[in-house]
Amino acid sequence: MTALPWTRGHSTRRHHRAAIGFLAPFLVAFALFYVLPIGYAVYQSFLKIEREGTFGRAHDVWGGLSQYAEVVHDSDFWDSLVNVGQFFLVSVPLQLVLALVFALLLDSPVLRAHRFFRLALFAPYAVPGVIAALMWGFLYSPGTTPIPGIADRFDLLGPDLVMVAIASVVNWVYTGYNMLIIYSALTAIPAEVIEAATVDGAGQVRIAWSIKIPHVTPALVLTGVFSIIGTLQLFNEPQIFRTISSAVSSTYTPNMVVYATSSIPNYHLAAAYSVVLALITCALSFVFLKATQRRAFQ
Amino acid sequence: MRTARRRRTGAAVALVSTALLLTAACGSSDDSDGGGGSADAGSCQPAGKPVTLTFTSWVPGMQATVDLWNKNNPDIQVDYKEVVGGNQGTYQAYSNQIKAGKTPDVGMIEFDNLPSFRLQDGLTNVGGCQPVQDAEGKYVDWAISQTSFGEDGAVYGIPMDIGPMAIYYRKDLFDKAGIPVPTTWDEYYDAAKKIKAEGGVIGDFPTDQPAWFTSLAWQNGARWFSVDDDSWTVSLDDDATQQVADYWQKLIDEDLVDTIPGLGDPQWKALDSGQEWSIIGAAWTTKLLESSAPKTAGKWAVAPMPQWTAGDNAAGNWGGSTAVVFKDSKYPYEASEFATWAFSNLDALALNNKNGGQYPATTEGQEQLPALTEGLPYYGDQKVWEVFAQAAAGVDPSFQWGPTMTDTYAALADGIGKAVNGQGTLDDALTAAQAKTIETMKAQSLTVSD
Repeated sequence: MTALPWTRGHSTRRHHRAAIGFLAPFLVAFALFYVLPIGYAVYQSFLKIEREGTFGRAHDVWGGLSQYAEVVHDSDFWDSLVNVGQFFLVSVPLQLVLALVFALLLDSPVLRAHRFFRLALFAPYAVPGVIAALMWGFLYSPGTTPIPGIADRFDLLGPDLVMVAIASVVNWVYTGYNMLIIYSALTAIPAEVIEAATVDGAGQVRIAWSIKIPHVTPALVLTGVFSIIGTLQLFNEPQIFRTISSAVSSTYTPNMVVYATSSIPNYHLAAAYSVVLALITCALSFVFLKATQRRAFQ
Repeated sequence: MRTARRRRTGAAVALVSTALLLTAACGSSDDSDGGGGSADAGSCQPAGKPVTLTFTSWVPGMQATVDLWNKNNPDIQVDYKEVVGGNQGTYQAYSNQIKAGKTPDVGMIEFDNLPSFRLQDGLTNVGGCQPVQDAEGKYVDWAISQTSFGEDGAVYGIPMDIGPMAIYYRKDLFDKAGIPVPTTWDEYYDAAKKIKAEGGVIGDFPTDQPAWFTSLAWQNGARWFSVDDDSWTVSLDDDATQQVADYWQKLIDEDLVDTIPGLGDPQWKALDSGQEWSIIGAAWTTKLLESSAPKTAGKWAVAPMPQWTAGDNAAGNWGGSTAVVFKDSKYPYEASEFATWAFSNLDALALNNKNGGQYPATTEGQEQLPALTEGLPYYGDQKVWEVFAQAAAGVDPSFQWGPTMTDTYAALADGIGKAVNGQGTLDDALTAAQAKTIETMKAQSLTVSD
């Protein structure tokens, strides 16, 4: 048989099959490790426990929105959201400003030994959050700090300052990470643009202000979104600080509320908290993107 | 175009984070009836064939005890796995394993968490198993009775070790200052004031150890939980507990005690540097103190806990654990045979004490273990174990644990944290923990009488 005419329908079908073949491994893993657990958690959040007698066997029964009613009425959960809200204000603006300044310095000809500083500033991110919290906790505890003057003068683990103490750990770890995101955006600026500005007589500060910063605004927005998500999910650092400070409660952040609830164990309520927290995270990220995109993505 | 793509990236980031969050909340498979093979009295029979059991605990060096058993019992081999401490993750793992029907045969659970696993229907009642009935009499009464939950003849856990309490004090400093060792809580208060005048502190009110506070309340005869007619009564704020709370509130208010986290570097440093002159600890604190405050070796001594009524011998118990046979075990007879041997046989107890620092839950072990009859150089050659044997006999047998202690402790610790930071009192902590506990128990569909 000679070659058939190359029909459009035929090619589309073949393309479809190939696409499915390529996508299958991803889709299977995605379904297994993302869709299924999310679906399971949502399902769990609609159940409640029933039992008979003092130590009777527990049965999961349909509870409708009863767990969500609990969430709405739970002051610990909403207090923890207020906590991370305050934490965001204490931590993120400073963190992003520092990240931007460091990135601009790395990108400018003013600084020498770029590679060294890039690595040095990024290095804390390679330290696991738990280890970082332990290290800083050691420095802040009056009993163990090598700088007694600081711990004596400021009660860094007391109710007034403990949030600043935790924020300093988080900033130490994530400033370098955010710096790298911004820095890679800076390196994408075409050299001609900078050259043109130099020829026009712009100094480094002027170039940074009028060209570089506007150019990396999308990257800044991205780091902002990461920070919103990261702050809402704050867990390791306050959990470690709980062992050295009586001012960090077991329900200090939303994720700690989820953790404490699941260790009761009350999986259904923990699932409901998680779903609500996820929705809040989505909503805040979305609002942030909406609010910033006009400026950022013209 | 560029805008749209960027936006989608942002949304994808949010979505992925959502997914990460939700996976964290997922436990394990749905609960089925797990076979329902309960081994109640009568049904606990030997398998009649060689079996292999699995056993997990976090007692250091437990492998040596298991090796000794395996050498002598070719037909009941035990496969041992060391895990992290219960509250560090193993309890969570047990809960998941119970849901999934994949528990080990024998596991370690501390006394205060036993009701929680009973509530999850994860434990076998081994009260009907011959090896348990044979060994029952060896255990300190209150220890074994804590595992029955008021059910006649029931045993839901075999006591591994207990934590009777006493006061560890710097003998040299007390002697030098001419302060007598307090035998009552009134004397403790007086001593605290004198020590403060000397520039030291009598001790610490550990802010992160709600179980420590619980055992002080236990000493005073508190009854936090009780069960009648299928309904629970919760009284964390009963008179006995309030008396203890008010007492410590007074010491905190007058700045007579430290309020730092307990059992960690800050406290050890305070003890080793001579800032704190004493610590109210359990039997297992003996070795911990020795290794954590090495500079002050030879200067310590141990005395019975201060009393609320002069001349009493009431002690608190802090910690201690049980070996449970999980519901999914197919060999409850063999499992209980191993567990009773491992925690009542003198050779086994000697190993547990040497390697794991466990203080035995059997009177025979407390009195006869060679290691428990000699003086300890760290404590100026004092025979400290005699103090603990006496304390073990003075623990109130009627104290009961609640079914959601993890949550009760968390609420209590949060309240204590607020109290030492001047945002409330210990009494407020009790009120809050009481309310939170009842709420949590009701969420577990338990009947709680008001």
